[in-house]
Amino acid sequence: MTVVYALLGAGLFGCGVFMLLSRNMVRMLLGLSLLTTSVNVMIFQTGRFRSQLPPIIPEGSEQLVNSADPVPQALILTAIVIGFALTVILMALALRVHGSHESVVTSEVRSAESLGDPILPEKTT
Amino acid sequence: MISSLLALSIAGSSLAYPVARRLGRWAGWGMALLPAALFVAFLGYAPASSAGIVATDSLAWVPSIGIDFSFRLDGFSFLFCLLITGIGTLVVIYSGAYFSDATDRERARFITLILLFMTAMLGAVLADNLIVLYLFWEATSILSFLLIGFDAASAHARRSALMSLRVTVGGGLALLAAIILTGATLGTFSLTEVSARAPELAASAWAPAIAGGLMIGAFAKSAQFPLHFWLPNAMQAPTPASAYLHSATMVKLGIYLLARFEPFFGYLPRGREVLLAVALVTMLVGAFQALRAENFKSVLAYSTVASLGILVMLVALDGPMATVAMMGFIVAHALYKATLFFVAGSVQHATGLSKLRLMGGLGRYLPVTAVAAALASLSMAGLPPFLGFISKEFLFEAQIQSTTDAIPMAVAVLVNAVIVGVAGVVTLRPFFLGRDREIEVRHGERLGLIVGPIILATLGLVISLDPGWMNASVFGPAVAAVYGTTVDVTAAMPHGLSPVLLLSGVVLGIGALIFVFWRPIHRRLRVQLWLDSYDAESAYEALLRRIDDLSLKVARTVQHGDLRGYLWTVMAAAVALAGWGMIASGVLPRIPTAEEMGVVRLGPALMALVGLAGGLAAARARGLIGAMLAVGLAGLITALMFMVNGAPDLALTQFSVESLTVVLLTVALLTLPLAGHITRSAGERKRDMALAAAMSAVLFVALMDMGSSTPVTEVSAFYGERSYIEAFGRNVVNVILVDFRGLDTLGEITVIAASSVLVWSLLGPQSRAEGQTPIASGRSAFIFRFTSPLFFWPLLVLSVITLFRGHNAIGGGFVGGLTAALAFAVVSLSHGIEQTRRRLRIHPALLVGGGLTLSIASGLPGMLVHGTYLTHVWFETSVLGFTIKQGTATLFDMGVYLVVLGAVLSYLFGFQREAAR
Repeated sequence: MTVVYALLGAGLFGCGVFMLLSRNMVRMLLGLSLLTTSVNVMIFQTGRFRSQLPPIIPEGSEQLVNSADPVPQALILTAIVIGFALTVILMALALRVHGSHESVVTSEVRSAESLGDPILPEKTT
Repeated sequence: MISSLLALSIAGSSLAYPVARRLGRWAGWGMALLPAALFVAFLGYAPASSAGIVATDSLAWVPSIGIDFSFRLDGFSFLFCLLITGIGTLVVIYSGAYFSDATDRERARFITLILLFMTAMLGAVLADNLIVLYLFWEATSILSFLLIGFDAASAHARRSALMSLRVTVGGGLALLAAIILTGATLGTFSLTEVSARAPELAASAWAPAIAGGLMIGAFAKSAQFPLHFWLPNAMQAPTPASAYLHSATMVKLGIYLLARFEPFFGYLPRGREVLLAVALVTMLVGAFQALRAENFKSVLAYSTVASLGILVMLVALDGPMATVAMMGFIVAHALYKATLFFVAGSVQHATGLSKLRLMGGLGRYLPVTAVAAALASLSMAGLPPFLGFISKEFLFEAQIQSTTDAIPMAVAVLVNAVIVGVAGVVTLRPFFLGRDREIEVRHGERLGLIVGPIILATLGLVISLDPGWMNASVFGPAVAAVYGTTVDVTAAMPHGLSPVLLLSGVVLGIGALIFVFWRPIHRRLRVQLWLDSYDAESAYEALLRRIDDLSLKVARTVQHGDLRGYLWTVMAAAVALAGWGMIASGVLPRIPTAEEMGVVRLGPALMALVGLAGGLAAARARGLIGAMLAVGLAGLITALMFMVNGAPDLALTQFSVESLTVVLLTVALLTLPLAGHITRSAGERKRDMALAAAMSAVLFVALMDMGSSTPVTEVSAFYGERSYIEAFGRNVVNVILVDFRGLDTLGEITVIAASSVLVWSLLGPQSRAEGQTPIASGRSAFIFRFTSPLFFWPLLVLSVITLFRGHNAIGGGFVGGLTAALAFAVVSLSHGIEQTRRRLRIHPALLVGGGLTLSIASGLPGMLVHGTYLTHVWFETSVLGFTIKQGTATLFDMGVYLVVLGAVLSYLFGFQREAAR
């Protein structure tokens, strides 16, 4: 299964990168969401696929024996929620940008450029 | 012993400021005690010096790479130490009087800088380790910068200070490069050893680069053409600093370095020729510009440039006489030039004048200064019996004895003649001629202002009349230290009628003519303004403008303003670095064995392919809804992947998140243009595809390689063993989150709380009035409105169960909170925000804040009981015969639940509000 999941993780990552390089902010945030998913898939693979049993200590036992690796799971669990929050924040920003600029295309949003040249600001004398 | 003298100097000069401020007007006399004490201490080395003993001292610093605070005091260093501390004493005394009108702060600051400079200078000439020498060398450059820019309010001073800093520190970098190359070639940074192994160094492949670096460093410091232009500009410094740094000591540091490396240059083919050429050009340029200069100090500065050229010429000449002449001239020049700078300062202090042609008849008002000026000028002109005369005799003797041809001789005669003219002009004109001029004199002579010049000027006579001690203790050992063998200095002195005396006569004759015709010569040369556009200073200015233009162009190229371009660059760099790392390591990536691969299960494998297809579909999708659904598909497949590989917690979390994402984004997309028209050209899309493919390829290889490595299981095993025994939980993932790594989780829910605040501030009510008007809810399908309670209550109950059983079975605060949020989302979509908020009763932000507080507080009991924060406390209660074990971990997880629920609800309400706007 290593090959299959490596293909899934790396493939989704590439798709995310491709979307992230778009100039449409919504497409970018969808790409970023895909990127987080693919990274989670990759982290999951650090635990390998040694067992299909969940890391839950069975009744009557005091120690975990022969189960999936709990550490990557703990890492991914919070990462999923944080990735979700990130997607939502970006969406909120995109909504705000659309509200003020009537566009979500980065090359059309030029309010910073209209402030003047960032490299050689006009001399205020 | 040497290092303790240096330590005394460092400590004294570092503590000088507060003391000098307290001393007020007496700061000059008081602070002079430090250099005076050092001078006396160094004098104590005279017997050892005349006996040819070299004192050494060393403190370990970084012995592993051969850098130590090693010092040595030989004849040459001894000569410099006496000059530095002796003239330093007089400069400090003079400064106290020169700054009589300044505030105590200013005076103290100046004297402190002078003392710090003295320390740096002592360190530079005492250091035996080249790296240490470099450090002190750069320290003198920085202090020179601070002294030139002492009057920071003046734009002129700032410009000059920056110029000197750029030139001398830039040269210093070249010196550092040469030092490092030397260290790499010879394996030592010891100056002594490097001098001893000069032939080896000269024969090495790096010799030309080392010689170049040394020369650039020394030429920049000692104002040699074409790096000389900073010195005349450095005259912006207060005059005592000019006397000390820019004539007597610092500018001779370059000469010091060249002299130390003289054997190396001697062995190097064409080494002496290059030095000689630079020296001759510098001499001519300095002499020529001295004739054009108007200001008292400028004339002195250009004549200093010419004198420094003479010193480099003496380094370049071979034969023992050249070294003898160099030592004589270093001392003679330091004595008379420092005196003349003092004199220039006194004149300016007294009259406020700086232009020579405005001065005249000052001898009446400043008699002692006039006498000092006269003595110094006689020495400068090289008249017998002054020291200047003897050093000039040696100079010509050295030229006759050396193997070079007649050109240096001719240049030397001409330049020396100009120096004679300068000597006359700077003394006779302002002090003794033009007595009819009316000049207002604001300050008379004070003891502090005359001690320095009169002592130095007299010494120029005393040393030549009674040279015994100097020859035995200073000149002799210094020559021996540089030349390598002892030279009998006393016997070497030229006597009687000789060709040398004849040359001196010629020089004096031409010099007298220059003096007499000074005014017409000066006027003719002065008006040739076109000369100014060809000098090194305008080249320097042009270079600075070029650098500005270039950096502007670079900034405009790099900061192009296209976000996509920035991202592309960053990612391409990441791929290139990772790929290069893989290839450059030379190790082929491993491929997992069949056993490590594991059996390919058909169902999961097909699922993974569907997920991949979802990703590709998202990337290809034209519309945003399609892209969103395809991304959701990839997410769902990931959740299934977690499910079939023993991670039900992850699967549940991912399922809830995907559902909520679709809900939230759908709400948000209601307000956005869905067409998602193409924003990239076909070429850009191709390039992006190539980059994405390259990234995928690199990651795929890395993942395969990882799959064939031995997994690290220690941490997992630790948690598996301790989870139930120590934290009383069977769900190891949950135990890690709420107990073992509870602090991390606390950080993560804080991030989520912050995100809810951020979304609320972006999308919440923008005014008080807006906050009070109810939000109109759109119509939703009747069947959805009718069935929503069927979803709401079961989901809510399920979320609470998920929360509480999470510690021992599948579930937990994150999943529970997300499930509860789904329950409210159903109501909000079917009945609108207002009804949902009525049902919720409290503001979502309150949920977030309350949850965060609960989680933070849940760690406190553990702190009281176990003494560690977030180590949970457990207690058992018996209800109806059932033993229930409860702990603060449950409180922590409840906090997580509330934060997640509140955060998701504030996202939802924000998006719905935006959709209704």
